[in-house]
Amino acid sequence: MRTITLTEAMNEALREEMHRDDSVYAVGLGLSSASEGTTAGLVDDFGTSRIRSAPNCETAIAGSAVGAALVGMRPVVELHLADFAFNALDEILSKAGKWRYTHGASGGMSLPIVFLQTMGGYVSGASEHSQAPLALYMHAPGIKVVVPTTPRDAKYLLKEAIRDNNPVVFFVHKLLTDVKGPVSDTEGEVPGFGMAEVRRQGNDVTVVATSYMVTLALEAAEQLGDRDVSVEVIDPRTLEPLDIETIVQSVRKTGRLVVIDEDTARCGVGAEIGLQVMEHAFEALRAPVARVANPNLPVPYSPPLEEAVLPSPKSIQAAILRTVSATP
Amino acid sequence: MTPSANEQLDLYRMMVRSRAFEEVAGAAAHEGLIPGSWMSGIGQEGTVGALGQLRPDDMITYTHRGAYCFISRGCDPKRLLAELFGRRTGYGKGKGGRHIADPEHGVFGKSGTIGGHAPIAVGLATAIQIRGGDGVVMSLFGEGASNRGTTHSAMNMAAIWGLPVVWVCENNGYCGSVPAPVYTATTDIARLAAAYDMPGVTVDGNDVLAVYAAANEALQRARAGEGPSLVELKTYRIRPFSETAMDPRDEREIEEWRDRDPIQEFRERLLEQGIITHDLVASIGAEAQAEMAEARQFAEQSPFPDPAEAFQDLYA
Repeated sequence: MRTITLTEAMNEALREEMHRDDSVYAVGLGLSSASEGTTAGLVDDFGTSRIRSAPNCETAIAGSAVGAALVGMRPVVELHLADFAFNALDEILSKAGKWRYTHGASGGMSLPIVFLQTMGGYVSGASEHSQAPLALYMHAPGIKVVVPTTPRDAKYLLKEAIRDNNPVVFFVHKLLTDVKGPVSDTEGEVPGFGMAEVRRQGNDVTVVATSYMVTLALEAAEQLGDRDVSVEVIDPRTLEPLDIETIVQSVRKTGRLVVIDEDTARCGVGAEIGLQVMEHAFEALRAPVARVANPNLPVPYSPPLEEAVLPSPKSIQAAILRTVSATP
Repeated sequence: MTPSANEQLDLYRMMVRSRAFEEVAGAAAHEGLIPGSWMSGIGQEGTVGALGQLRPDDMITYTHRGAYCFISRGCDPKRLLAELFGRRTGYGKGKGGRHIADPEHGVFGKSGTIGGHAPIAVGLATAIQIRGGDGVVMSLFGEGASNRGTTHSAMNMAAIWGLPVVWVCENNGYCGSVPAPVYTATTDIARLAAAYDMPGVTVDGNDVLAVYAAANEALQRARAGEGPSLVELKTYRIRPFSETAMDPRDEREIEEWRDRDPIQEFRERLLEQGIITHDLVASIGAEAQAEMAEARQFAEQSPFPDPAEAFQDLYA
């Protein structure tokens, strides 16, 4: 199987979808001259009308995508950093997420938009260039949330996101963009939205993680193998829709759950998944659900400070050991 | 450019129908039939001079105020009123209230945030540009919305992409009950056009033919691929910010503008020029009132949505 980077996989996905469907176009700052990233080189195939360079204003970029989608276009919006997308929250949350409902699906209204966001820390980006605001979008009605981990998932989840008739926020972690992985040429082999993937089989504890947190969780799990702790790692791949069944099934086997989340812990992905597991399988839990997440702090700049705030293999191991040793 | 006699009659009919709708909606608001609120556009019907000359394939985004945007686009008053009454027969099946969209007639919503629809208008025009054609997007906004970054960034984007957008500012001088000089550095909104390298003109918004002429020039420019323009209409709203709200404005000021009623001024001109007769004035008025009374009856007799419908329509 071919091995390519996650960004190359997304570039392939966008190119294929733009060839397949004339209503797909990409918009964002500097796209028509991009030499790297999801749109690199696509201007040669599609011209500046469909690989559209926009002013550096997320509000106008996202809002214009809403308008175009209302009349049947399928915009793929490059917002660059997730932190920048906060400038466009009215457009993403209140317009893209709600207008189909508000207008009673008037005239078959739909909003097929993909909002690409690069997220995450571990790069000394400091508080305004390091956020991973997954819970914000998972919290909002009408928005699908996709968080690919591997190049294969990135390619096929992006294709599905472009074909979906609803707004999709598509997060890519900064530390995963250049990571290479095998990419199948057969789309049917890849599970779609709402299908979690068991990244590692185990019996003692279920760990749920997405994106770069999967990398850290797998590292922690390998190290714990030396101490005879068998860790199952589940990657939901999409947070809305969320494949809670696969998670619950795993917890019924292990009796223990740790959720890893780079976002701030309060009202976060871990809180939501932990509560849903309690609703579905309270009797299966043999220890309190644990979270490893940012303890509600801005992400600091200096590496030792950043390491203290963001999840690490060490803090993940510690949480797993606490959970495994807890007794009912 | 002056519209033909027939076009002038069409504009007059739209204004009268819009006013009749306003009166029915206003009365209903006071009777408690509208669970939310109604923002009356009485006094601002001169905007019909811009809206009334659009083609069926053109599109609009509009402000929170007035019925003329819907009526001039050909929306169904029954479904409009039913939506305001929260009934399942309304445009949004009772989910949107004043936030009405009617894609079939090119009506793409108001924004719940003032000025939030400006970037959406740019997107509608982007779709026209990518697909080709000479359709136009007319985006109405108030002078209050000119304070929002959305308005400015949308004007910039439309200008650099050369999009077919006609920006129409309905400058009624008040944001809520606050007069414009308190919140806007320049109260001549057409001056913004210079910053975005497009033509900008100010006209008397209560003179429907002046509005028509200015908008016509902007529309021709947009259809020819020459990019956006800004037309500012100086006007005034006669009713309070919201139909059932208190109105702290000076009563004499309101009276002065009541004397400048755009429908009355237009009617007098049409009579003077022999374009309309007193009989036709009476029959247009009676037809409009009958139409809107029927719309009210339809809305009142329509059922409320079933609570189960709250769980429908989120995802396509």
